[in-house]
Amino acid sequence: MKDYVLQVEKLSKSFYPALSFGDLARFNFKNKPPTKALTDVSFCLKKGEILGILGPNGAGKTTLLKIISTLILPDKGKVIVNNLEVGCEDNKIKSFIGLMSSEERSFYWRLTGRQNLEFFATMFGLSTQQAKSKIQEFFEIFKINYAHKRFDSYSTGMKKTFSLIRALLHNPELLLLDEPTKSLDYHSSSYLIEFIKAQAKEGKAILLATHNMPEAENLCGQFMILHNGKVYGAGTQDELRKKINSHSASLTDIYVKLTQNA
Amino acid sequence: MLRKIIALLKKNFLIETSYKLSFLFNILSVFATILTYFFINKLFGHKISSHLETFGVNYFSYVLLSMAFFSYIGVGIGSFSARIRSEQMQGTLESLLLTPTKIGVLLMSMALWNLIFATLDVFIYIGLGIFLFKINFSAINIASTIVILILTIISFSSLGIISASFILIFKRGNPVGWIINTLEGLLGGVYFPVTVMPLPLQLIAKCFPITHAIRAMQLAVYKGYSIFQIKNELLFLIFFSLALIPFSLYSFKFALRRAREQGSLLQY
Repeated sequence: MKDYVLQVEKLSKSFYPALSFGDLARFNFKNKPPTKALTDVSFCLKKGEILGILGPNGAGKTTLLKIISTLILPDKGKVIVNNLEVGCEDNKIKSFIGLMSSEERSFYWRLTGRQNLEFFATMFGLSTQQAKSKIQEFFEIFKINYAHKRFDSYSTGMKKTFSLIRALLHNPELLLLDEPTKSLDYHSSSYLIEFIKAQAKEGKAILLATHNMPEAENLCGQFMILHNGKVYGAGTQDELRKKINSHSASLTDIYVKLTQNA
Repeated sequence: MLRKIIALLKKNFLIETSYKLSFLFNILSVFATILTYFFINKLFGHKISSHLETFGVNYFSYVLLSMAFFSYIGVGIGSFSARIRSEQMQGTLESLLLTPTKIGVLLMSMALWNLIFATLDVFIYIGLGIFLFKINFSAINIASTIVILILTIISFSSLGIISASFILIFKRGNPVGWIINTLEGLLGGVYFPVTVMPLPLQLIAKCFPITHAIRAMQLAVYKGYSIFQIKNELLFLIFFSLALIPFSLYSFKFALRRAREQGSLLQY
């Protein structure tokens, strides 16, 4: 059990719509039917593994990543990161996790890229010296020469790169990537994919949420098909192929076959 | 912890100074407000001079100090919710909460930022009062003034944190902020001494900490009252602070938990 960086056990989450003014005026305080974001999701992730969470928009991928990263509390189930349970020891867990969000609005747009990274590095507990050398290291890796410019002047690709750098600043053991190559051009996304592969080789456990099947096929060793918050299949591509009795099925074929009766 | 607080303050400073005109307009708006009350004093000031005998000043001196003090309180209260809302709208609240930073550190940095910013405002009010309008602050009892300020900052910061808790859950609509800025401004003796109002309203005013804070401040600054002479007002503020600090911290933690349950940290 100690090999696992991440264990998710029977995780469920529903969101209740807020009561409207009309409801309050009619003294109707009953909760409206909830949206089930996740139902009994379970999986484990070891060091050096890349697990692809595959599903369309609204499948529950981002909710899952946000629960693991302590931003959302689950209704049921457990998330254990490095033997620490989410909801109990969140501040310790945050040191082990790096989240690259798909959200563009997660930096201070009035600050420069470097100022943003220096700020977040301090918040992750890095000393000034550690922060400076780490940031410089990433600037060299990603050939960044625009760090002195204000963040609101960056292109989507630049923002994505900064989001990944921020997630890696504190050298987390678990990397959560939410649609990392969305809106990136071919060159940038290829570079990013190679970098992510290298991170896994260095021993990081990586959870990749995407609906881009070719990208997942290229990056991940393990897959989990998530649809309407439920797991429809999990394993290596070969294991999933066996499940649908097709030896040469692509991930897209597997996904379609497994979720066709959903 | 200290490094994180400094980093948060530096970040706020860099963002604030990136809006170059904002500081200049702040000074201008304070000046315009003071000037308005200067002329109101010329027109009607003598009519309420009997209500100001306790403090030994004219209407303009009274209102300048109250407004400086009230803006201090208002900034203190409003800034917690304003900062939370600004982080929500920028989308950075989640990124901030992803870092292993204790809630106490975040709140402490906001309180310090409020204090720095509000002090700047007070300096503008008092500076204009002294140099432009020749108001005499020579009787001030520094010790009493500092004690009143500390107690006021603690009690009103607690209200500010409660106010921010509402923002975390409801995003907009902040009853605490409304009560303080509107109701307390009206009844608390900011724009005129409470004795101007009918007796029932005076009784309601006595329930608000701002009434006691402003009265104590006027007496300490203009009449040089010692801590002992304003002990009743100070005791009220101490009681208010002791009651509100734990409640405010609890309410913020509760609101944060609720926002995490709803998955609404990024909504605004």
